[in-house]
Amino acid sequence: MTASIAHTRKPRADGPAPRRRTLKGLWSRLAKADKVGLAFVLPSMVAVVGLLIYPVLSSVYYSLTDQSLLRRDHELVWLDNFQTLITNADFWSAFVTSIRWTAGSIVGQLLLGLLLALCLDKVRRFSGLYRVLLIVPWAFPPIVIGFGWQWILDDVYGFLPNLLTSLGITAENVSPLANPDTVFWTVLAINIWFGAPLFMVNILAALKTIPREQYEAALMDGANAWQQFSFITLRHIRNVIGLLVILRIIWVFNNFELLFLLTGGGPGDMTTTLPIFAYRTGWGLHQLGMASAITVLLLVFLLLMARIAFAALNYWEREDS
Amino acid sequence: MSRTGYRSGRLPSRREFAALTASTVALSAAACRADTGRSGAPDGVLAGDLLVWTSFTQGPRAEWMEHMAQKFEEAHPDVRVTIETFSWPDFYTKWTMGLAAGQVPDISSALPTHVAELLSVEALAPVDDVIDEIGRDRFAEAALAEGQVDGASYSVPLYTHAQVMWYRTDLLEEAGLEVPTTWAELRHAAEVLTTDDVYGLSVPLGSSDMMATRFLNYYVQSAGERLLNDDGSANLTSPAVLDGIAYWVDMYRNTSPEGSINYDVLQQATLYYQGRTAFDFNSGFQIGGVQQTSPDLLEYVAAAPLPRLTAADDLYGGETSNTPMVVWEASSMQEEAKAFLLSLYETEEYIEFLHSVPGGMLPALADISDEPAYVDDPILDQFADTVEVIDEAVPRGSAIGMEDGPTVQASIMTGQGIIEGLFQDIVLNGTPIADAARDAEEQLNSLFEMAGVEFGQ
Repeated sequence: MTASIAHTRKPRADGPAPRRRTLKGLWSRLAKADKVGLAFVLPSMVAVVGLLIYPVLSSVYYSLTDQSLLRRDHELVWLDNFQTLITNADFWSAFVTSIRWTAGSIVGQLLLGLLLALCLDKVRRFSGLYRVLLIVPWAFPPIVIGFGWQWILDDVYGFLPNLLTSLGITAENVSPLANPDTVFWTVLAINIWFGAPLFMVNILAALKTIPREQYEAALMDGANAWQQFSFITLRHIRNVIGLLVILRIIWVFNNFELLFLLTGGGPGDMTTTLPIFAYRTGWGLHQLGMASAITVLLLVFLLLMARIAFAALNYWEREDS
Repeated sequence: MSRTGYRSGRLPSRREFAALTASTVALSAAACRADTGRSGAPDGVLAGDLLVWTSFTQGPRAEWMEHMAQKFEEAHPDVRVTIETFSWPDFYTKWTMGLAAGQVPDISSALPTHVAELLSVEALAPVDDVIDEIGRDRFAEAALAEGQVDGASYSVPLYTHAQVMWYRTDLLEEAGLEVPTTWAELRHAAEVLTTDDVYGLSVPLGSSDMMATRFLNYYVQSAGERLLNDDGSANLTSPAVLDGIAYWVDMYRNTSPEGSINYDVLQQATLYYQGRTAFDFNSGFQIGGVQQTSPDLLEYVAAAPLPRLTAADDLYGGETSNTPMVVWEASSMQEEAKAFLLSLYETEEYIEFLHSVPGGMLPALADISDEPAYVDDPILDQFADTVEVIDEAVPRGSAIGMEDGPTVQASIMTGQGIIEGLFQDIVLNGTPIADAARDAEEQLNSLFEMAGVEFGQ
C-alpha cells in the first residue's frame, strides 16, 4: 500500500529530473533486472513479438515490395506503392467513405447510446429486463447481423420491403441495400443499431457512480436540467465516453465483416471502405504489396487519431484533477 | 545463488542478446511447426500424410469424399488422408495465400479458371499418367484441353456441366407463351411474366461474383464472338458486346429486382428455387436447389438451350464447366496423391458421387453416361429431357475465356469483378455504355499485362 502511495507521489521540485526512457536506458535497466524474472517474461515477449510485432513489421516490409500472391519472390520497390496509392482516385474514394462511415457510426452510436443510458438511468422497474433487451444487437455475431439484415431488407423476399408495400407506404418493394440513394444510410443505421448498446452499457455504469448529492446541491443553487446535465452528468461520464470513442474509432474504421456481408462494398464502390479496398487489392488483384501499403496507411492514420483522442482525454483528466 | 549461463555474471552483449532472442523465436517457431511426416515413401510403397482440399461443401458430396478417404486409408494403411473443405471463394483465397506462403495441399479440386492461373505460376504437376491409367479416350478432348500446356495435362476432369436456360412450364403455359429461342423472345416473355409476385428474369450484377460476366458471355457467344480477342486482349467494345451490355442493362431495368445489382450466384439461384423468377440461367444444380427449397415446383422446372440472336442460328455452348482435380507440384506426396486421384474414378464410387447431385454433375467419362447403374436414378429419369439439353451443350462450350485452352485472362476476367463494375457504372452512374465498356476494357488489358500476358503471342 505504501509502495503504491510512494509510487504515485509526484517528484519534488528540487528532486532529480526523471530519466528519459531511451533505448539505451532500457538496455541498462534490462542489465540490472532480475534475470530469473526476465526468463519468466521471455515466453510472453516471444508470443507478443510473434503475434503482434512480427505481423506489423511484415506488413510494413511487404508494403515496400511488389509481392504478389501468385509469386514467392518479390523485389523492393520502396515507396512506389504509397506513391501509386496517393494518386489513386479509388483509394481516396475509399478513404472518404471510411471517414463518413466511421464519423457517422460513432456520432450515431454515441447519441443513441447516451439517450438510452439516460432513459435507463431513470427507470426503476424492469430496468434489468430493458438492459438485456437493448444489449441484444451487441450480442449477435456480425455474420448473423449481416445475413439477417440482408434478408430483412431484400426487395424480393425481405420482410421490411414487403411490409411497407402491403401497408401502402411504398408503391413497390424498395431495395435499401441496392439503391444508391439509400445504401450508405442503411448500412450506417445498421451499424448504429449494432454499436449503440456498448455505449449505453458503459455510460450507464458511469452514470451510476455520480453522487446524487451533487444534483441536490445543483437544484438548491437553481440549476436547470440542461445545466445539471452539462456541468454534472457530462463531466462525470466524459472520460468513459472519450475512451469508448477512441476504441470505437479504431474498431469501426477497421471494420470489414459487417459492410462486406451487407453489400460487399457495393453497389459500385458506394460502401467501399479502406479495409474492403485493401481486401480487393490483396485477394482480388493478388497485389499483396499494395494491400500491405493500404493497411500501413490505415495504421498510421489510426495512430494519429488515437494520439489526438488520448491528448483530449489527458486534458480532461488534468482538468478534473 | 550462483548465476549460470554467463561466466562471472557477465551479461550478454546487445548483439548476443539479439541473437539469443532471434534463436528463441526461431526455435519456438520450429517447435510450433507440426511434424507432419509428409514425405512420400519411394518404390511404390504408399505412406505419409495426404492433404486434400476440396470445394465439395454440400453434405452428400462432402460425405462421399470422406468415404473415399476412408476407403483409401483401408487399402493403404500407411497413408493418412486429411480432407479440408472450402467454398469456392474461400478456396481461391486459400490457395493464393498458400502459394505465397508455400503451404499448398497435395491434391485438390479446382475450377478451370483456377487451373489456368495455377499453370501460369507452374504450381501443378503433370497428370498424364493418371489420365492414361483411367483411359484418355474416355474424357472429352475439350475438357482435357482446359488443363493442357505444351501437350502435357495438368488436370483431370472430375465432373462436367453446362449453362442452360431454365424456365417455369406452368408460368409459360398460363401466359400462352412458347419457350423462348431468341434473345428478343426471352425479353418479351420475361416482360410479360413480370408481375407483383414474380420477376421475369433476375439479372445479377454483384461485384463479388462473376454472374454479369457469365450473362454477357452468353450473348456474345450467340453473336459468334468471345470476350477475348484473338490476340488475347479483352473484347468489350465490339458492336456485338455493346449490344449485349445494352440488352442486359435493359433486362435489369425491366424484368429484374432492383436488389440484384448486388446478387451473387446463390442469391440469384435462390429466387428461382423459391419460384420468384420465371427464367434463370444455370447448370443442372438448379434441380437439386428447387427440390430442396420448393419441392412442389419441381414438376414445373425445365431447361432449354441458351437463346440465340435469330431462331435460324446454330446452337452454341455458352459456358461449360469441366471441374477437375489437380496434383500440386510442391507436394512431396505426388505418388500417393495420384493413387488417391485414381481411386476416385472407380466406376461404382464414381457413379455414387455423380448421384449425390443428380443432373447437376454430369460424368466426365463418356462411357459412364450409358452405365445402367448411372441412368438408374429417379431424378435423372424425371429430368431426362433437361439433362439431355445440358448433355448436348457440354461439348459445345468451354470455361469463359478458355475457348482455345487455359489462359490467365480467363481467371482475371471472371475473378476481378471488372465487367460487373462496368454494369454497375452504367446502372448507378448513368455512364454511357460505350464509355463504361472502353474503361473496363482498358482496365482488363492492364491487368492482363500485369499478369505477364503479351498480346498477340
